[in-house]
Amino acid sequence: MRKSKYKNLFLGLLLIVAFAIVRCSKDSFPVDEDGLLITDRTSAYVGSFDLVDPTHQTVVIGTPVVDTVAQTIDLEVRFGTDLTSLWPRFSLITDAKLEPKITGFVDFSDLANPKQWTVISGNRQVRKVYTVNVTVQQP
Amino acid sequence: MIRELLYKTAFILCAVTIAIGCKEEEYSVPVPKSGLQNDCIKKSVGPGLAGIDIEFMYAMAIPESEGKLISAQVEASIPGASETYLEHRSFHTNAIGDDIGIPVASPSVTDGAVTKINFNVDTNAATLRYYYRPAPDAADKEVSFTFSATSSNGETASYKMGPYKIRRMEIAPNLAVSDGNRFYISIEDMAIYNETEAASIPDKIDVLYLFRTINGITFGHSFVAPAADAVYRPGITLPNGVNRNTKIQKAWNVRDIHLGANAGTGNNSYVYLDDEDFKTLNLSAAPNYAINMLAQSGIWVETADGKYRGYIYVNSINANGSAVIGIKRYKL
Repeated sequence: MRKSKYKNLFLGLLLIVAFAIVRCSKDSFPVDEDGLLITDRTSAYVGSFDLVDPTHQTVVIGTPVVDTVAQTIDLEVRFGTDLTSLWPRFSLITDAKLEPKITGFVDFSDLANPKQWTVISGNRQVRKVYTVNVTVQQP
Repeated sequence: MIRELLYKTAFILCAVTIAIGCKEEEYSVPVPKSGLQNDCIKKSVGPGLAGIDIEFMYAMAIPESEGKLISAQVEASIPGASETYLEHRSFHTNAIGDDIGIPVASPSVTDGAVTKINFNVDTNAATLRYYYRPAPDAADKEVSFTFSATSSNGETASYKMGPYKIRRMEIAPNLAVSDGNRFYISIEDMAIYNETEAASIPDKIDVLYLFRTINGITFGHSFVAPAADAVYRPGITLPNGVNRNTKIQKAWNVRDIHLGANAGTGNNSYVYLDDEDFKTLNLSAAPNYAINMLAQSGIWVETADGKYRGYIYVNSINANGSAVIGIKRYKL
């Protein structure tokens, strides 16, 4: 049999395809139940936080204080804010997600039982619960 | 050799054809069509409602050799309010962009649904403006118009416009409120009252306007329901019976043009609130106060008895504790 002058080319192509099949398989890009990528990151913390009212303007005075060790977010809202209808905005570390999901306005009026959210890390193994403590400015 | 000759001949023929074929046409003024012609456009935009004019421009013309214009009239399917009129001046735009009006008739006469003018100068072309003011009883109805003109050679031309829906909502723009003086707002009456007047009609007062400067917080200009928590209406003793619980929801960037959002320079709103906005408004979870209002903000309101939904727009605020507001309301 005559040696094909393309034999090396075919071998090279075969190697590339095999490599692609192995590397690009679904197992290398696992997704969780929300369709989000599961990565190797283990950090789970909140970067910044904001609260907006139904006019989509912020109601926070100054900047909310995020304590990533104590896992609390302390903030003061303006006098006269309607606490029953506020939309929280979290900024999380790369690849982390929040539970429960925020889908609309949340009732923060029960100041004795502050609301809590869980930050889940990129590899979905680390879970940290953050408490949002709201105080209302008084005259 | 013959081929070469043929090529040269063809080339010369083409060049000559182009040279004599492309003759420039001399310009001549277009000849207008014979007979009385007319056209109409609606000039005003936004939803129609009682109290706001709907404006049209009606143009009519006849070639000078055939005659002149005799009369023009507009018939509306629903008689308009008494402020309805047909402009008796013909407008054109001059070279620098100003609209110049030349009187061509005596002021229009309105008889029921028909508004008419008779030309009293010799003119063969005119553009007249028609202002229709919907009457309150036209709410929720559709109105159509028939514009017509007659000329001295016996011709009549007419143009139909519409139908246009007249909304149910009503407005009261540019109301002045001042803290401690006239600050009792009634959605039912679309008016502002002082304490004495409010005491005599306590069940009609829906919203209070307040201005406070309190250390440590920003209270500023505010709208508070009479039944709101006392901490949101400091320093007020309400007359007996003024205790309605109105739902109030603060709004930002809802600048209704009917209430004057574009009056003055630099404003660029494109919003008209319509019946549909009030029909779909949901204030069930709204509070009954709104503090720290700024100019061009507003509040959505719903009266305690569920009769009216409305929007109060803040046109301007003053540092001395007064403001100019406008009310748009919808009867449910």
